[in-house]
Amino acid sequence: MEKQSKSYFIHLAHQLRFDLGDKEAQDITDEFNILIDQMDLLNKIDTQGVEPMVYPFEEPTSFMREDVVNHVLSALEALKNAPSSKNGFFVTKKVVL
Amino acid sequence: MSYQSIMKNISIHDRVFEALKKAHDVQPKLNAMVSFIDPTSQLEALKPKDNTLPLYGIPVVLKDLVNMKDTITTGSSKILANYVSPYDATIVKKLKEAGAIIIGKASCDTFGMGGTNKTAATGPVYNPYDLSRMSGGSSGGSAVLVASGVVPMAIGTDTGDSVRKPAAYSGIVGIKPTYGRISRYGIIPYASSLDHVGFFTNNVLDAALTLEILAGRDDLDMTSSQRPVEKYTEACVGNVSGQRFGIISNVTDAIQNKQTMRQFDDLCQKLKDQGAIITKIHLNDDLMKAMLPTYYVIANAEATANHSNLDSLRFGVQVEGKDNEAIMMASRTEGFGPLLRKRFVIGSYALFTENQEIIFRKAQKVRRLIVEDVQKALSSVDCLIAPASGNGAPLIEDSQIDLLSSEYLVAENYMAFGNFSGYPSMTVPFGFDGILPLGVNLTCRPFEEGRMLNLAQGIEDLTGLKDLICEVKP
Repeated sequence: MEKQSKSYFIHLAHQLRFDLGDKEAQDITDEFNILIDQMDLLNKIDTQGVEPMVYPFEEPTSFMREDVVNHVLSALEALKNAPSSKNGFFVTKKVVL
Repeated sequence: MSYQSIMKNISIHDRVFEALKKAHDVQPKLNAMVSFIDPTSQLEALKPKDNTLPLYGIPVVLKDLVNMKDTITTGSSKILANYVSPYDATIVKKLKEAGAIIIGKASCDTFGMGGTNKTAATGPVYNPYDLSRMSGGSSGGSAVLVASGVVPMAIGTDTGDSVRKPAAYSGIVGIKPTYGRISRYGIIPYASSLDHVGFFTNNVLDAALTLEILAGRDDLDMTSSQRPVEKYTEACVGNVSGQRFGIISNVTDAIQNKQTMRQFDDLCQKLKDQGAIITKIHLNDDLMKAMLPTYYVIANAEATANHSNLDSLRFGVQVEGKDNEAIMMASRTEGFGPLLRKRFVIGSYALFTENQEIIFRKAQKVRRLIVEDVQKALSSVDCLIAPASGNGAPLIEDSQIDLLSSEYLVAENYMAFGNFSGYPSMTVPFGFDGILPLGVNLTCRPFEEGRMLNLAQGIEDLTGLKDLICEVKP
């Protein structure tokens, strides 16, 4: 991991669709430097030939069921929390001008 | 307050409304609740039911990540401040079927992302033993509501140690069973490969009963285990004779607080006197020190992906903007606190194509090595044991800690191995540092909750520290 600048993190935040204040970006930059030091602790460990661990352990969880509709969230309920909806659809700003 | 003591109050109406009143009374001091739920309709629904249900008329609280139909579930965030759950989480259904009455949602670090409960949108939660100290997090609100005698049980979630650490700071029992043992359906996620449902009680037997109710297969959660659920209450006899405890010496070596260690040594001697076999286990030092950065990388990367759906277009608090991009930008900036923004930035950094192998995959490989080391240790002992923290609850404003010291990296963060491995892990009180409670942590092999609860019962019997209530004067 390399040191990064404040402007780098602001750019990264924009890609994630939020903004950072100047001081906040500086705080992240400073903390990133601590993380770099902590990451060195990982880099000291030999992981040659080790498989990444994605889930805790393999436990059979798949199952078969009848092919019938169940557990449905109605459109009305799905739209209940929408800031704006109309005729069963979410309403957003126009995207095709 | 235990299940048994609250049931002495015959009227379930009185039980529930007394708990609700107490929750209101302590709120100005503890700041533990995010929302209160009117229990009237739940009490009505309970009327025709069998009064021998295990949690009949017992008031309980949910962490504010748990969906319950027609209640506000904010994740202790600003962006979901107006979110009304459209359905019940599976554990909510199970609690209702067992007769429990849910009286509110408890504060947590936003979306469970933190270990202090200082990042909740509603402000920090205070520790009932000393109001200048933190509850710990992320399930801090749930912990202090049990510790202060508002409810006998509260639901939490645990991604790094978010049930077990606040339990230790609050003098109560906190348990995170095996990954897949309790359904996570209907719970706002943090990091899916590490998230567990857990809960708090005032004693070990209540924890065993609660686990019997909550555990079991759920087709709606594809990580849910199909293994049958044991009768945990029957396993919970407190017999430690012949049981092999492995003290994690990396943790005990790193703890600086002599009070903690003196009491921990006393406990181990008492266990030995009861016929337990106590040995020291030294896990790989490099792996133990790598625990926190490994956790940080994996958890933040998964969280960044999980929360990319928070766009404020389909749900959530929306801030005005000239187009959808501007709405998203303004809503996410306003709706995420600084800690969340920081974690998302770090998480996305780890997920960049050019960083995936050297950061994210590297962390996943180290995770495997950590788990293999723990698994090896648990092949020679029945449980791993160590203080859950070197100290009692820190001051809210405390920041005087070296982030690269063994005390911090190992003694304060080792419990994440329970999340990396998915192994069952729990904390029970074992002493006090001044007025502050101390907790001891046990970790066992997967699906050995019965054994773990039996050992925890043995510790509770030896210390006599059960049903501790720290009354908070309104």
